[in-house]
Amino acid sequence: MSVSESNAVIQIDQLTKQYGEFTALDSLSMEVRQGQILGFIGPNGAGKTTTIKILVGLLRPTSGRASIAGADCVTESRKIKKLVGYMPDDFGKYNNMRVSEYLDFFGAVYGISRKPRLKRVDEVLEIAGATYMKDLFVDALSRGMQQRVALARTMMHDPEVLILDEPANGLDPQARIDMRTLLLRLSEMGKTLIVTSHILPELARVCDVVAMITKGRMRAFGTVDSIMRDIQQRRTFEIQLLDRDSVLQATAAVQAWLDAQAGHEKGGPGKATGAEAEQMVRFNTSLADDAIAPLLAELVQQGQPVSQFREVATDLEDAFLHVANEEQQSPVAQQSGEVAAS
Amino acid sequence: MNPVIRREFIGILRSPRAFGMLACLTLVFSVAVLMRWPSDASVDLSGLQSLQVFRIFGYGLMTGVVFLVPAFPATSLVNEKNSGTLALLLNSPMNGASIYLGKISGVLLFSVLVLLCSLPASAACYAMGGIGGDKFFFLYLVLALLALQYSTLGMLVSSYVQSSDSAVRITYAAVFGLLFLTLLPDVFFRGTGVGGDFTAVIGNWIRNLSPLPAVMEIMGQGNVGSFGLKTLPGFTGFVVLALLSSSVLAYWTIMRLNHRIFDQSRSKGVITNEMATRWQVLRRLFFIVDPQRRKGGIPWYLNPVMVKEFRCRRFGRAQWLLRLVSVCAVTSMVLTYMAAAGITSWGVETIGALLVLLQVMLVIVLAPSLGSGLISGERDSGGWELLRMTPISSFRLISGKLMSVVWTLLLVLMATLPGYAMMVLIAPELTLQVQQVLVCLLWTSVYALAISAAVGSLFRSTAVSTSITYVVVIAVFLIPLLVWLGRDAPFGFETVETALLTTPVGAALSVIDAPGFGAYELLPLAWWVSGILSSVMFLVLGVQVWRLSRAV
Repeated sequence: MSVSESNAVIQIDQLTKQYGEFTALDSLSMEVRQGQILGFIGPNGAGKTTTIKILVGLLRPTSGRASIAGADCVTESRKIKKLVGYMPDDFGKYNNMRVSEYLDFFGAVYGISRKPRLKRVDEVLEIAGATYMKDLFVDALSRGMQQRVALARTMMHDPEVLILDEPANGLDPQARIDMRTLLLRLSEMGKTLIVTSHILPELARVCDVVAMITKGRMRAFGTVDSIMRDIQQRRTFEIQLLDRDSVLQATAAVQAWLDAQAGHEKGGPGKATGAEAEQMVRFNTSLADDAIAPLLAELVQQGQPVSQFREVATDLEDAFLHVANEEQQSPVAQQSGEVAAS
Repeated sequence: MNPVIRREFIGILRSPRAFGMLACLTLVFSVAVLMRWPSDASVDLSGLQSLQVFRIFGYGLMTGVVFLVPAFPATSLVNEKNSGTLALLLNSPMNGASIYLGKISGVLLFSVLVLLCSLPASAACYAMGGIGGDKFFFLYLVLALLALQYSTLGMLVSSYVQSSDSAVRITYAAVFGLLFLTLLPDVFFRGTGVGGDFTAVIGNWIRNLSPLPAVMEIMGQGNVGSFGLKTLPGFTGFVVLALLSSSVLAYWTIMRLNHRIFDQSRSKGVITNEMATRWQVLRRLFFIVDPQRRKGGIPWYLNPVMVKEFRCRRFGRAQWLLRLVSVCAVTSMVLTYMAAAGITSWGVETIGALLVLLQVMLVIVLAPSLGSGLISGERDSGGWELLRMTPISSFRLISGKLMSVVWTLLLVLMATLPGYAMMVLIAPELTLQVQQVLVCLLWTSVYALAISAAVGSLFRSTAVSTSITYVVVIAVFLIPLLVWLGRDAPFGFETVETALLTTPVGAALSVIDAPGFGAYELLPLAWWVSGILSSVMFLVLGVQVWRLSRAV
């Protein structure tokens, strides 16, 4: 799958990384525009960190090309280091250093001269909401505090692109909300962000675009809505009834209606199931909203005691599970499973 | 069976490091005995040859125990604490004593394995004849007690520190102190020996904390540092003190094995600038360089990595360095003054030798402590990846790190300059010798730093790199001196001279005309040797840094 956008800050083209026989990345391509927040998701070992490490110049691809703001990630690594701020999952703490000393050190390493550096330390602490931590020892900080300081460190040299690996990891609910606000603020400041996370609902709330990879391959790329549309070709609906006695009858009615619409469905007629305990009928279909509307009218006309008729909302987690399951059921995965079983 | 014993012992045995150690030890012992095995058909009825072999074997075995045993107990509790499993153990029905017993038994079982590795060599040595079985029994008894003493010491240190590398550092420093520094009070206060004045008796007892007098006694070499005076027998003294000290250390550690061991919330950072003026003044007077003051930014003319290294080391911070330098300066002045005022009859050469040894000991303790973790510390903490992400060049990175150690070692060396100055004042004809000695000491520091940085960079974990670096550095500097100890037998003049050439320490002692070293002509060859070896080590370090920094 290849995705192309104009005015892209981050461009990845046919990126492949192999370790001997093992392919960590397989012809990965994508582009991210300025100010966008890209949610980069995939199961453990999918190739996210490999992609990030190639982008920040820590790894070389076997083939393909990656560039940030026009600078090649392989040949112009010095330029890349100034353009990118990378926050790895590991904090990288130094004992016996205060937060201000820690940030001062990284500022000096990036070649920022003394006076602007001291000013910058205050600025990034303020942006990260960590001003009160300035005099604290780095190794005495809690996980949530460390994440804020790590973010401040990532912003020290005012990079154009921020790559954040699991920024919400280990944060309490309030800190997660703060982190979300902070990411949106950075995006408003014109920064381009790549964020990896396993907390998908969080990611869905802040990301403009999402890239899903499994086994080194791009499985889905685009806005959350477009991915849902692409992935979830069948939607699920729920019909809430007023009494449990009507469930069987209503289920049969829905199934009959779905069978009648089979000619318009993609991949055969939808399937209806009844849940007496919940007084509910569920069905899935690939029909559009205007095609489904007559079903409600028909049920009401039949005298079914319908109290609610709604679509079950799907989120990024469902989409991710769909992609992951699809991957597992693919012939390659099945073959490898058979080999493992034998 | 105590489950902790099983886990600890099997855990140690599963480590490739431990397997390597055991294999190396067996090989070294066998080679040592084979080297001195009689090659002709004649029988040495005097037993002299077997005594020579026994001495090499005995000192080698003691060195093995001193180097290898402390590393395991030193990291035992702190690793358990940091990984969270100590909390699980304390939360189980096991009490502190059984946890301790389990852990120390695992370590002691490994020590037994170390001693067992030497059995084939000791059997061969015994078969040569001339050495009674009782000597072997006493030697093994002393070494077993030594393992017990160092294990309990390591465990105590481990219960206090926060990281495994500082546990290794402190334990090796303490072991080094127990081995050598305990000999000094007796040298200073010796008088009439047992039954004499109080200080002499105390000095004598402290001396017996070191296994050296006991082992030398078993080897039939008399008492080190006794100068022919009647003293408490080294063997008996050591057995009593080792048992006593081990019991105290074990009890102390067991008392710490409860919930309070986690009760170490660290100060989140009191800043002197926010204290009342009188406290600020007091702290300034006490510390001179106050560690808690708010720092300005790193100036442009300093390598930021060097400043970072100083700032994130607890011991490397300026106030500690100043204290260390002051102690060195005062000690060197006192030693030289004692010689000048005739308080001792040692003469300038002996004082010079003491100064050289004092500095070498400091260098050997400091260089691995500061140099071994330069790269592994970064890799361990995750800082290496962050630094790779910055535009700083590998050369600037490593030079900043090396300079932070160089400055510390230079300060320590410069601290003894007043002592040497006084020596030159007393005996102006020694000017050239003192200059040569200082060059030798400079080379010693460079050499120790090069070995520490290169060996330390080969390992990912700071604890492993620190322990292995200590072993290598101590071996490199101590083995030539051990060879020198056997200068009349079993080693010939040329062997001793070649061994002394491998480090600049022998050259320094020879230049200052220290007793027993005057006969060897080691300069300028020793400088060349250490220079070439240091260059090789720096090359290894450079290659390793390049390897770790490149994108692959």
